[in-house]
Amino acid sequence: MLTFIGLGLYDERSITVEGQEALRAADRAYAEFYTSELIGTTVSDLEAHHEIEIEVRDRAGVEQHPDEILEAAETEDVAFFTAGDTMISTTHVDLRLRAHERGIETRVIHGVTAQTATSSLTGLQNYRFGKATTLPFPYAHGADGLPASVTETIEENRERGLHTVVYLDIKVGHERVEDDEYMTADVGAELLAAEYPDLVGVVVARAGSPDPLVEAATMADLAERDFGDPLHLLVVPGELHLLEADALVELAGADREDLEIA
Amino acid sequence: MTLTASNGLIWAISPGTKHYPFDPATGIGSYMGRRKKIVQECERLMDKPENIRNIAIAAHVDHGKTTLSDNLLAGAGMISDETAGEQLAMDTEEDEQERGITIDAANVSMTHEYEGTNHLINLIDTPGHVDFGGDVTRAMRAVDGALVVVDAVEGAMPQTETVLRQALREGVKPALFINKVDRLISELQEGPEEMQQRLLKVIQDVNELIRGMTEDMDDVDDWTVSVEDGTVGFGSALYKWGVSMPSMQRTGMDFGDIMELERSDKRQELHERTPLSDVVLDMVCEHFPDPLEAQPRRIPRIWRGDDESDLAEQMRVVDEDGEVVLMVTDIELDPHAGEVAIGRVFSGTVEKGQELYVSGTAGKNRVQSVGIYMGGEREDVEQVPAGNIAAVTGLRDAIAGSTVSSIEMTPFESIEHISEPVITKSVEAQNMDDLPKLIETLRQVSKEDPTIQININEDTGEHLISGQGELHLEVITQRIQKNQGIPVNTGEPIVVYREAVQRASDTVEGISPNRHNRFYISAEPLSEELVETIKMGEASMDMPEQERREALQEAGMEKEDSQNVEHIHGTNVLVDDTKGIQHLNETMELVIEGLEEALDNGPLANEPTQGTLVRLHDAKLHEDTIHRGPAQVIPATREAVHKSLIDGKIKLLEPMQDVRIDVPNDHMGAASGEIQGRRGRVDDMYQEGDLMVVEGIAPVEEMIGFASDIRSATEGRASWNTENAGFEVLSDSLQREKIMEIRERKGMKLELPQSIDYI
Repeated sequence: MLTFIGLGLYDERSITVEGQEALRAADRAYAEFYTSELIGTTVSDLEAHHEIEIEVRDRAGVEQHPDEILEAAETEDVAFFTAGDTMISTTHVDLRLRAHERGIETRVIHGVTAQTATSSLTGLQNYRFGKATTLPFPYAHGADGLPASVTETIEENRERGLHTVVYLDIKVGHERVEDDEYMTADVGAELLAAEYPDLVGVVVARAGSPDPLVEAATMADLAERDFGDPLHLLVVPGELHLLEADALVELAGADREDLEIA
Repeated sequence: MTLTASNGLIWAISPGTKHYPFDPATGIGSYMGRRKKIVQECERLMDKPENIRNIAIAAHVDHGKTTLSDNLLAGAGMISDETAGEQLAMDTEEDEQERGITIDAANVSMTHEYEGTNHLINLIDTPGHVDFGGDVTRAMRAVDGALVVVDAVEGAMPQTETVLRQALREGVKPALFINKVDRLISELQEGPEEMQQRLLKVIQDVNELIRGMTEDMDDVDDWTVSVEDGTVGFGSALYKWGVSMPSMQRTGMDFGDIMELERSDKRQELHERTPLSDVVLDMVCEHFPDPLEAQPRRIPRIWRGDDESDLAEQMRVVDEDGEVVLMVTDIELDPHAGEVAIGRVFSGTVEKGQELYVSGTAGKNRVQSVGIYMGGEREDVEQVPAGNIAAVTGLRDAIAGSTVSSIEMTPFESIEHISEPVITKSVEAQNMDDLPKLIETLRQVSKEDPTIQININEDTGEHLISGQGELHLEVITQRIQKNQGIPVNTGEPIVVYREAVQRASDTVEGISPNRHNRFYISAEPLSEELVETIKMGEASMDMPEQERREALQEAGMEKEDSQNVEHIHGTNVLVDDTKGIQHLNETMELVIEGLEEALDNGPLANEPTQGTLVRLHDAKLHEDTIHRGPAQVIPATREAVHKSLIDGKIKLLEPMQDVRIDVPNDHMGAASGEIQGRRGRVDDMYQEGDLMVVEGIAPVEEMIGFASDIRSATEGRASWNTENAGFEVLSDSLQREKIMEIRERKGMKLELPQSIDYI
């Protein structure tokens, strides 16, 4: 049995009760933190809190050599867990399919993910989001300036009046960076400002933590600010419903003049 | 005396023509002071393009180029007349004088008075040994005329053909000097008839080569050489005399007089009455084009930028007030000034303090000094205007082949190197402390000589140098040891192999590690004509798309394929057959990176792949950039390319050399045995004079150590010449053995991937 468990957004207590029970009952527990991380805790705190031993896998250990995880799951109860939700913004459906190829039973226990937290914190309605995109570090993609996938996604969404979630790159255990590196929202806004200086962006920082932050302003303005500890993400709103606009003014300090209201 | 050739050409002159004796004042003596005067005179002449000649001397090895150059220098008063021929002033490196051959192209400027007008002659001496062919090609780009030197006894040799081709391809006009005529007279005791026939044969052979090579060039007229026109000279560089049709008219000496003096050993008199330098320098001034005549023809041939632009016009008219355009043909290392970039100024004027762009690099370099070469030494001057050859310091980003300019411009097409590296040697510093210096020196070496490839391995400390032959590498390692004082250990020379597909493959799939990205690729052999076109730089990614398409189509590529060419790497082409796949554009760079990795390290033995057309049929990509980054796309493409190469039955190729041995009849068997015993093939054997000529081809690998073997097999009576002849598929029976040998040397797994079941 292979159980995919989402740890939620922030620390060892962000997991659901159902997830916690499944984690504690598992014979073996594997985790990956290269797609995202829990900022409020460490692996050893997780181990202590849940009284389990965790084997952390890097990208190659999950993508290229998943055999150990799968072999274990053939005979034992194995938990595979990630920050957020295991199936949102990751590529782990591949692991699930590989398990099915081997006849291994699987299940998914959901975690809270940035996608839903964003709607919750900003007041932007989840019905009105278009495709999401990730803004990579400039050295991580070959193109000059913003990658077309980012600009195209934002522009296509905006044409249809939709909001865009822009995830900001993180590099964990990456060969080119010594320490783990998280793109902060000011850096992200600066990159986007090259193309859209006057467009309004909404910063969501530390969603799921005790001190989350939401701020809305033009990209050029956001690029000058400091939003504190990671993780951050940006939203580029499309056309705003009246209540959405009210929420951005009230909850995110937006200047109503800057907003495109339907 | 009158010599009449069978073609009716008359070698006679009317007696009583005025003759100019050699002026000893220009020879020995106050030569330092004189040198300064020459520099001043050169500077004065630089602004008069109509009086400038940029020339190269090129020949088969040992046919006497360097000795001839020394004659010219002595004639111009730059070295003592007595030492010319012994001094080898152009061979400035210690190892050159030791070996008695020229290794790098050397540069010198001199002045010569012709018909009452002083001329500035910028001369480049080039190496003739096959191992140093890259220098010859580069030298040709800087000059407008090439004096081809041929040994009267040996006649036109393989390397004569090569240098001639290199000159003509660059649009450089040839003239001929037949050297060592003294040997025909004194050593071979040939009579007038015999000698005349021999000389005419040399001229005919050379003309046949020129005719063949210029047939398709519509920008040149008849460039064949002839005695009557004065584009052929004869003489002896060793004894410093020379003769040509115009010189006979001037000195009143005809061939009969010359033979008499030579026979009676009155060579000094001969030299004084008809000095070689006058004959040759007159020929240079009279028959070689000045920059004003040459550049309008040469610019379209060697520059692919916009023909209609102001810049093109400035280069065509040698505009010294135009934008600065300098084509770097050589980098030399000066112990004091550092790197010196030598090249032809096609337009503008190079001056100290200018900030210039260097093609292929970002930002600008500042000119620290500008000078000209006088023999082995550089002399600083105020400025060097268009039409000249300049030596510039401060261009730290320039390599041989760079375009340096005052505005950003289309670079000159990459200089075409006819020869690619065939042999590799490892170099290790004996003392770990020398390691940084060694790496620095190796980088330097590859900047100076782009036919050298350097592979620096910081992990093992074992660096690889690849070059044109055993001697080429030996010379380079000696320079590191001697000039830089770094003691090194070198490995045995290793031959460079290639891998190439033998048939068209099926379409195969490459999957990224996260399995969300897939590439569908096939591989097929490129036709020889296409490979040749790419190798010659006639189709490259640097040129405008339309032009590239046309060149590829002309070489036989389907129209649609030529439109879809996405990348050219080595002699391999990537064709993108996909249509409208979202995000593929921004992923292409990674696809190309994976493709290059896969091609540089072929699936058999990590040797470079050549002559392969890789076709991208389809791609499936993850929606988000993060999940189709380098870690995903590069391995996926690499996998797909390797799979397709294997499905195309990729095989190992080895480099071959053409071999020509001249040997007395008694030793012919031993000589041909030396070729056959080396997995070689003898193609032809024939009599030439009193010698037998054996021609054949053999693998470079087997040719290592050939020099000493052939010497002992023929008791030192053979002379031979080798020329790199491209790569051939290694015979099936040797494939597995050789692949395993290479894999073992490289520390690779000693079993092939299972899919390689055909070897």
